[in-house]
Amino acid sequence: MAAKADREFGFFCDDDRRGVMAKQLPVVVLIDNSPTIKKLFERSTEKLGVELLVFDSAESSWDYLGDSKPDLLILSIILPDQDGLTHLKELRKQPLHEDTSVIMVSSKDYMQDRLVAEELGALEFIPKPMPIQTITDVIVKYTKAEPRAQ
Amino acid sequence: MSDAYLRFWGVRGSYAAPFASHLGVGGNTSCVEIRVNDHILVCDAGTGIISFGNEMMKQDKIRELMIVLTHYHWDHVCGLPFFVPAFMPDWKIRFFGPGQDEDEIRKHVSAQMRAPYFPVGTESWLSDTTYLNPKKDRTLHYGPIEIRYDSVHHPGVTYGYRIKVNGKVVIYISDNECKFIEKSVTKRQGEFNEEETTLYNEMVQEEHQSELDLIKNADILIHDAQYTPEDYEKKRGWGHSCYIDTINMAIDAGVKELYLYHHDPYYNDDAIEVIYTHSNQIISERDTDMICHIAREGMKIDL
Repeated sequence: MAAKADREFGFFCDDDRRGVMAKQLPVVVLIDNSPTIKKLFERSTEKLGVELLVFDSAESSWDYLGDSKPDLLILSIILPDQDGLTHLKELRKQPLHEDTSVIMVSSKDYMQDRLVAEELGALEFIPKPMPIQTITDVIVKYTKAEPRAQ
Repeated sequence: MSDAYLRFWGVRGSYAAPFASHLGVGGNTSCVEIRVNDHILVCDAGTGIISFGNEMMKQDKIRELMIVLTHYHWDHVCGLPFFVPAFMPDWKIRFFGPGQDEDEIRKHVSAQMRAPYFPVGTESWLSDTTYLNPKKDRTLHYGPIEIRYDSVHHPGVTYGYRIKVNGKVVIYISDNECKFIEKSVTKRQGEFNEEETTLYNEMVQEEHQSELDLIKNADILIHDAQYTPEDYEKKRGWGHSCYIDTINMAIDAGVKELYLYHHDPYYNDDAIEVIYTHSNQIISERDTDMICHIAREGMKIDL
């Protein structure tokens, strides 16, 4: 089952009263089965205007990735069903995801894993553990997310 | 009653160590045979599989087996070019290992056997060779043997195997760096604020529980124990465990018998005897019934 993010998927209005057009939030998909990592990402994005969707397995992520392209995909390597690098290989075969922006986040900080991730077009490899600000920074860097409207 | 046993054909990691000083433990790299009557499952194909293959050629009853590979590093596949049954037309061999499909597994198994590294390729194998597609439920069956595979902590995609055979659970994890995240968090503690420290302590517990879940209730655990604490400090991040971590993890998981495996080729028989003595001291101090062994080449265990 997909573990849906707590936030609503959708839109926010900068200022409806002035008739400013509604702006769609950048979508960040996280695939990781660690409840702690989920908490870290929720904490890292709570002040950002992004939509965070969390899936706890490669298989469940197809519910979204089957027909949607996120602005940023954050992928762990050790997952309960398929390893993250094999999942990325399968995603890259789909025309929809051949250029999807991907960041690997893993405790498997080994050169071989970094090289495979790079070959598969991952933009960065962030080893666990990482400070909360590192996550915020990388999401802003690749989604151009702005602070969440109060 | 089934005739079931496992036998170690290769117990070294990294590279073969055919040195006189090492032969009490054995010099061949990773290979374990698990047999139930006429069904043979082979875990890894290091140089140990060469003598196993030669032994198979001395009998004429069995002509079929399955080989599961944890990964494709040399010490786990380098016996295949010299595995005689593969070259025989009356043999049937099934392969499984990390890979998204049978083609990728075939590609990885074949990669080392090509010019200029080797004179003949796997196309010269005359046996009926097949490569098994992974399944969503991560299980395989071979006759009465049930197998489940999970990813472990080692460079590249690497599997550990949980094997149910003759009513016993044998777990084969040749290469795995246990307690990696705990060591990373400890090393970088100064970089994190209070909130992050709390979260990462939770993550350490999570990862520890995942490691225990992988090996819990094992009757027999065959696990990476490559380094002494001193060597582990120098080689942290190489994907192997310090034997002390392996023992403590096995005790925590309620393992009945632990076989320390994938010995560093630098360690001679005397060095491994020191590890064995210390292992039993740890077990005694922790007041547990777990039995610890050094995996030795040729050792046969009834299942």
